[in-house]
Amino acid sequence: MDILTAIFVTPFSEIVAGPVFFLEVVVSGLLTGIMYSLVALGFVLIFKASGIFNFAQGVLVLFAALTLVGLMERGVPVIAAIPLTMIVMIVLAMLVEKLMLRPLVNQDPLILFMATIGLSFVLEGLGETLWGSNVKRLDIGIPEDVWQVDVGDKYMLLNSFDVYAAVTGAILVVGLAVFFHKTPIGRALRAVADDHQAAMSVGIPLRTIWVIVWSVSGMVALVAGIMWGGKSGVQFSLSLIALKALPVLILGGLTSVPGAIIGGLIIGVGEKVAEVYWGPAIGGAIENWFAYALALVFLLFRPQGLFGERIIERV
Amino acid sequence: MFYREAGQFKTTYQSDQAIFPIAQDRWFVFAVVAVAYLVVPFVANEYWLQAILIPFLVFAMAAIGLNLLLGYAGQLSLGTGAFMSVGAYATYKLTTAFPDMNIIVAFLLSGLITAGVGILFGIPSLRIKGLYLAVATLAAQFFLNWLFNKVSWFYTHNPSGTITAPPRTTLGVMVSGPEATAEARYMVCLILVTVFAVLAKNLVRGRVGRSWMAIRDMDIAAEIIGFKPLHTKLLAFAISSFYCGLAGAMSLYLWLGSAETEAYNILVSFQVLFMVILGGLGSMLGSFLGAAFVTVLPVFLTNAPQLVGVTMATDLQKHLEVMIFGGLIIYFLIVEPHGLARLWQIAKEKLRRWPFPY
Amino acid sequence: MAKERTNGEVLLDVDNISLSFGGVQAIQDVSFDVLRGEVRAIIGPNGAGKSSMLNCINGFYHPQKGTITYKGVKRSQMRTHEAAAQGIARTFQNIALFKGMSTLDNIMTGRNLKMKVNFLLQALYLGPARREELEHREFVEKIIDFLEIQAIRKTPVGRLPYGLQKRVELGRALAAEPELLLLDEPMAGMNTEEKEDMSRFILDVSDEFGTTIVLIEHDMGVVMDLSDRVVVLDYGKKIADGTPDEVRTNPDVIDAYLGVAHD
Repeated sequence: MDILTAIFVTPFSEIVAGPVFFLEVVVSGLLTGIMYSLVALGFVLIFKASGIFNFAQGVLVLFAALTLVGLMERGVPVIAAIPLTMIVMIVLAMLVEKLMLRPLVNQDPLILFMATIGLSFVLEGLGETLWGSNVKRLDIGIPEDVWQVDVGDKYMLLNSFDVYAAVTGAILVVGLAVFFHKTPIGRALRAVADDHQAAMSVGIPLRTIWVIVWSVSGMVALVAGIMWGGKSGVQFSLSLIALKALPVLILGGLTSVPGAIIGGLIIGVGEKVAEVYWGPAIGGAIENWFAYALALVFLLFRPQGLFGERIIERV
Repeated sequence: MFYREAGQFKTTYQSDQAIFPIAQDRWFVFAVVAVAYLVVPFVANEYWLQAILIPFLVFAMAAIGLNLLLGYAGQLSLGTGAFMSVGAYATYKLTTAFPDMNIIVAFLLSGLITAGVGILFGIPSLRIKGLYLAVATLAAQFFLNWLFNKVSWFYTHNPSGTITAPPRTTLGVMVSGPEATAEARYMVCLILVTVFAVLAKNLVRGRVGRSWMAIRDMDIAAEIIGFKPLHTKLLAFAISSFYCGLAGAMSLYLWLGSAETEAYNILVSFQVLFMVILGGLGSMLGSFLGAAFVTVLPVFLTNAPQLVGVTMATDLQKHLEVMIFGGLIIYFLIVEPHGLARLWQIAKEKLRRWPFPY
Repeated sequence: MAKERTNGEVLLDVDNISLSFGGVQAIQDVSFDVLRGEVRAIIGPNGAGKSSMLNCINGFYHPQKGTITYKGVKRSQMRTHEAAAQGIARTFQNIALFKGMSTLDNIMTGRNLKMKVNFLLQALYLGPARREELEHREFVEKIIDFLEIQAIRKTPVGRLPYGLQKRVELGRALAAEPELLLLDEPMAGMNTEEKEDMSRFILDVSDEFGTTIVLIEHDMGVVMDLSDRVVVLDYGKKIADGTPDEVRTNPDVIDAYLGVAHD
């Protein structure tokens, strides 16, 4: 009986009783959601352009963060370390294209997916070999204060770091959306995503596109790495963020940039609200699987995600 | 010149349908099985049994399970680890609640329980396909991991959260618990794996196997021919989960002795996935080859430096191992995406022609 | 020339079927019947709605209007596996074989509905399971002999040339012992010899098993030789219905094929 009340009654009454706190939770969820979107975006870019589901995206985040911290630890100033890391990510993209994508062109998507899992192992091992595997602090100077935002006669507490991260994320996301839809390169990327053969036949160089896409994903990973790493330290668990991005992708549709954004927000808010209001009733830590359950429920109604392409099958 | 099929004519459909229609294959397999049953238990040392052979058998069982679901029925599942955990926990609860239950019966029952869970989590496959389905199975993976961790009934409120296999005997021999010898545990694993591998092979070459492959290759056409997608897919999930659950029970009772949910986390799911892909999708032999490869490789990598006389910091060694493992995966996928089973077939083709080049 | 095959009983009656996708009207108010035992051709220029018509008959598409009466049972909606259970089998324009399986296995899948033994017995491969498998294997081997594809029995169909794949697909449809066989452009992409072989097989199927056949085909010679009656579709509408000779001389049909401008 208690558990039923705890699930169906208490959370709602708590929400109604403390609307400002609820708002705080929602905002916190939105902020986290933007961060998820950022990681999911990296996936979407690569999937759209090459049809590969890049499991290594999470490790790219880790690797980028490790490289940045590693450089900074060796005395390179932030202003130089960031561009240097970007260069590293671009070089990485070129290596991946040459050593992995090219030999595996035209293979089954499942094989490519497995290859990216292999890649994630390689990058993880490499990153830790080069820069060590202890937890590192990442501080590039983003202020971490607690802000007080007045709402009516109550107030909300916000972490300034989260806000800066969210704003950066939002800018990046909007920038990428514009990039995709307004620039010639963006057009070429969309062409490749639609049809490799057709794109090649109008002269779009497939391999260059792939390098570009993986580089952009690498940079997105770097930003995500800075944001997440700054929050919780740079360590192996950072790569598991990718696993959180998966439900976002599912919700939003694997091929949709707006889907990644909206999916991220929904998952971020959903997760936070569920954890705060329903978590205590069922034992806590439901963040581990709640996002997946939410995505699963959505999938049952829309198997291609909110914005994904409808797969039409013909015989 | 040794491996020719010429002259081996089949006169009945029955002999054509046999599992090993080529005589040389039959002899080879019988030899391997004979060695496994008669020679290994007396010759192998504790380390080999505990670190290599027993886990190989446990994972071979899990790999067969995943192969049935992914290789034959085409349903991508990333929840293998979680299904193994269901088997392990189910057996644990059964044997602690019914101390007189025969351990093999407990194994089989927990396999059935896992099959039930598998059906439940397989239901989304009727609407969702491919990568989306994989993520749905991740929901199962994370949820079950959380469930067994949080709900203390599963580990009978043991404060450390681990479950330990109680001692049990079969036919007078102690097979689980601290006093069971590695040989005894190995034999039980071996028997279970041989029996269930044969059952799986039978399923796969008959109507059930064909229905799975039809759904895998072109589910629309399959439905038009009359295969019912619901039954076919759920049966695949059920049987596959049975095998994974059995493997989980084996892992707890016959290999690890005690475990907690971390032993069945997503990394295990990926491990089994590697086994199936590296070994060869849709191939029973592939399940074995893949399991062997993935079980033996880390052991090899851990010991290799010493064999060559090089000493390395354990940290560094571990990182290198991970890198090499990932690199090998990519390498194998490039060289032979159809897995070791296909390489084996190619080797047989060459053997057929030997000593001629073509 | 087609000889008298039918006893006059109506096996399939298509009544005022209309089908549209989004804004596109694929079929508009089409009616015709198919007599048991006859070979009925559906012809028409590309895009006329012929494949869609076949898809409606076997339940893959669901028409918005109209009914289909099959074996006396009127229905407007049927799922594909129900159609299969009712004795309808078909081949496809773009070949829908199971590429990962061998010829033998593909044709064996056609026997699926006749195989009843449950999976537990199959796992043990004892008694009933083994007998059933071998029984159906024999039947399938007869089909393989009939279609002269013994040599490629164990080859994975993905590796076969197009013409042979089409033959295997026919085999799979025949394995189901259908009462109504729907063939979607069975001769597409074949050379003259292959077409002659395929025509012979189709005629043999009709003569030996009495199967009713509905066939979509572009080759006029084939249509004239094989079919008893012809339906002509153009832009989703029926423009002619009768014997091959009647249809061949019909001015509307000639216009449609020559591409006279439509208003």
